[in-house]
Amino acid sequence: MHIASGFLSPPVWGTMAAVSGAALAASLAAAGRQLDDRKVPLMGVMGAFVFAAQMVNFPILSGFLSGVPIGTSGHLGGGFLLGILLGPSLGIVAMASVLVIQALVFQDGGIEALGANIFVMGVLPCLLGGAVRRLWLKPSWLSYTVTFTGAAAGVLAGATLVILLLKWSATLPQTVSLLQALVLMDSIHLLIGLVEGAITVGVVRFVLEARREAVLGVALLSPSVEVRA
Amino acid sequence: MNAYNRNTLIVGVAVALLIGGIVSYFASGDPDGLEKTQETLGADKPVHRSVEPPPSLFEGYSLKWLGEGFWSNAVAGVVGILLVLGVLLLVARILKRRPSQQDSEKV
Repeated sequence: MHIASGFLSPPVWGTMAAVSGAALAASLAAAGRQLDDRKVPLMGVMGAFVFAAQMVNFPILSGFLSGVPIGTSGHLGGGFLLGILLGPSLGIVAMASVLVIQALVFQDGGIEALGANIFVMGVLPCLLGGAVRRLWLKPSWLSYTVTFTGAAAGVLAGATLVILLLKWSATLPQTVSLLQALVLMDSIHLLIGLVEGAITVGVVRFVLEARREAVLGVALLSPSVEVRA
Repeated sequence: MNAYNRNTLIVGVAVALLIGGIVSYFASGDPDGLEKTQETLGADKPVHRSVEPPPSLFEGYSLKWLGEGFWSNAVAGVVGILLVLGVLLLVARILKRRPSQQDSEKV
């Protein structure tokens, strides 16, 4: 879902750069307190995992419809996943690093669109994921359901925002209504979101089983907090 | 570095390298959801582009001088993974305060 270079107008990308810049500054300020010894390598490898997973486009639609090719793919966003496993602040720092490297080194996503892309794939889903991470203190059917649905909803919210940003940038042709654009974008991203939800649940479960102390931190695992949770 | 953290790094990086270096070679080449939407709506012209994006070594996750094959993709994946890992470990090192058991975890 990376917005490429040249699709956002200066006021739109400027605004998004300011918003994401502020969110990133706040995250960096909070990060110092949250980085315990075990979290440092976890943040590093989770960022590396998200970068790698984003290289794997899975097919969503294929073949032809009335002779027109409809082949479409999607890939993991990973923001909701990092929001749960690292918390929103460290998640935003990790997602921003991935997106900056993708834009600067791999030409994936426009450099001027970085603020928008960091918000759509970083800030927004990381905050959503962070909001539900407490559910994983005691995993239950609720943790799985909320995580699956939340990750998919995060993708849909991001997709909706991208269309609005394109609309405000006057990049959508006059002949196309906003509703048409939203229906098309969101239908495709509903399918992508279901895969995002499934991968997120699977990876959260795996990493929590392997690295529970690193994910939840000493404070969260201490008895006093366990009782409250 | 203790065994716990060393294993986090080894297993995490191994999984990432497997996915980014090998599995990604078999990724779908179809446009992604946003590209397809823009294509379908006729919103795929970069109307606000005033300057061309600067050239990059790994444009499209491949190395030009290695062509478009397996190794080109693998090198791009490995380089990207190590870059992300390196940047994040460096950022963490700069940000990390002195460890304290009393520090409460913010959720």
